[in-house]
Amino acid sequence: MTTDRLIVTALAVAGLCVCAPPANAHHSGAGFNNDKLIEIAGTIKEFQFKNPHTWIQIMVDNDKGEKIEWSLEWGSPNSLGRQGIRPSTFPPGAKATMRLHPMANGAPAGAFVGAKFDDGKIVGRWEE
Amino acid sequence: MRTKIRAVSFALTVAVWLVPGVGSGQDGPKPLRAFDTLPDWSGVWAMVGGTVFDRATQTGQGGAISVGVRSHPPYNAEWEAIYQKHLDLRDKNRFPDTISNCGVPAGFPRHFNLPDPYEFVVRPEQVWVLTENGPNVLRIYTDGRTHLEDQWETFTGDSVGHWEGDTLVFTTVAMKGFRDKDVILDRTGLVLSEKSRVTTRIRKINPATLEVQMTIEDPKALTGPWVVTKQFAKQPAGTRVYDYGCAENNRNPVDPTTGETLILSPDGTPLNR
Repeated sequence: MTTDRLIVTALAVAGLCVCAPPANAHHSGAGFNNDKLIEIAGTIKEFQFKNPHTWIQIMVDNDKGEKIEWSLEWGSPNSLGRQGIRPSTFPPGAKATMRLHPMANGAPAGAFVGAKFDDGKIVGRWEE
Repeated sequence: MRTKIRAVSFALTVAVWLVPGVGSGQDGPKPLRAFDTLPDWSGVWAMVGGTVFDRATQTGQGGAISVGVRSHPPYNAEWEAIYQKHLDLRDKNRFPDTISNCGVPAGFPRHFNLPDPYEFVVRPEQVWVLTENGPNVLRIYTDGRTHLEDQWETFTGDSVGHWEGDTLVFTTVAMKGFRDKDVILDRTGLVLSEKSRVTTRIRKINPATLEVQMTIEDPKALTGPWVVTKQFAKQPAGTRVYDYGCAENNRNPVDPTTGETLILSPDGTPLNR
């Protein structure tokens, strides 16, 4: 998975505030590498706006032209809902670039940090 | 019509007192404090700070799952060794959080160590502390009843108390603790035994802050009283509290054989492997 032709950019965490709503309110977040921040770009498949945590499913092309489904975990729908996030925030079919703390073993999943849609809309933490 | 309602109400009251078991542990009816003299703890509240249970004694940097972070309760040697084992497992992502599989209460005193909103419902005969996360309910009886002498252990235990001015004082007994390995205090691996007893004082220290001070005694695990203070901040007016259906879409169950917290793909395949 690490050889994917994903738009993957390692960003220095230093200087970046990655204070997205906690993904570990219900469980340990030890499976994610919080010292690493990457970007992926693709097409939203589904926004699972359910407890105990929301998940953003996004289809990303790898370097073989294959569609890979990534799973990005975010906060609970309750806490996000209180901050204005809605099930419609990530509409299926929308194209976006996502920042996330990836899984340590390279599997296509991570803790969501922020998103920038192709129309410029920002969700979560996104510092240029 | 009014006479009928009164008659039904009287009959229901008598019926409740005649049900075997109801009223056990009562010292007898006592005059309840008038509702309008009770403190106003209405609204929505949230715990201040992270979920390391005893932040006053915390060492190490980060949250409860960060390597090197721990609290320092007055454990005896045996229970310090248990805690050290849990800390080592935590560092390897092998210390399971008992609530990650959904379905069991957080238990007491972890009840006061949860993220997400709290509500403190004050009534003359009871106080209810409701947590969205879980969800969990802590019932504190203030109607003069005492603990049952033969109370069996549960996750949240049995709480009875009284008012000292605007401070609610209550004791909690009959908690399972770590006896069945399904109640913890935080993800560093803090635990107590089934012999623990907690005396809690709750008061509003300013209009926007509730203080919860717990004095924990545990003759099996501790060498002396352990005092832990938590604060809860008033949330903006109009804040809503929602369902927390933990099992609705739990993609982070704990592997029962390894204690590892899993991360599942949409089809349920563990991605950690």
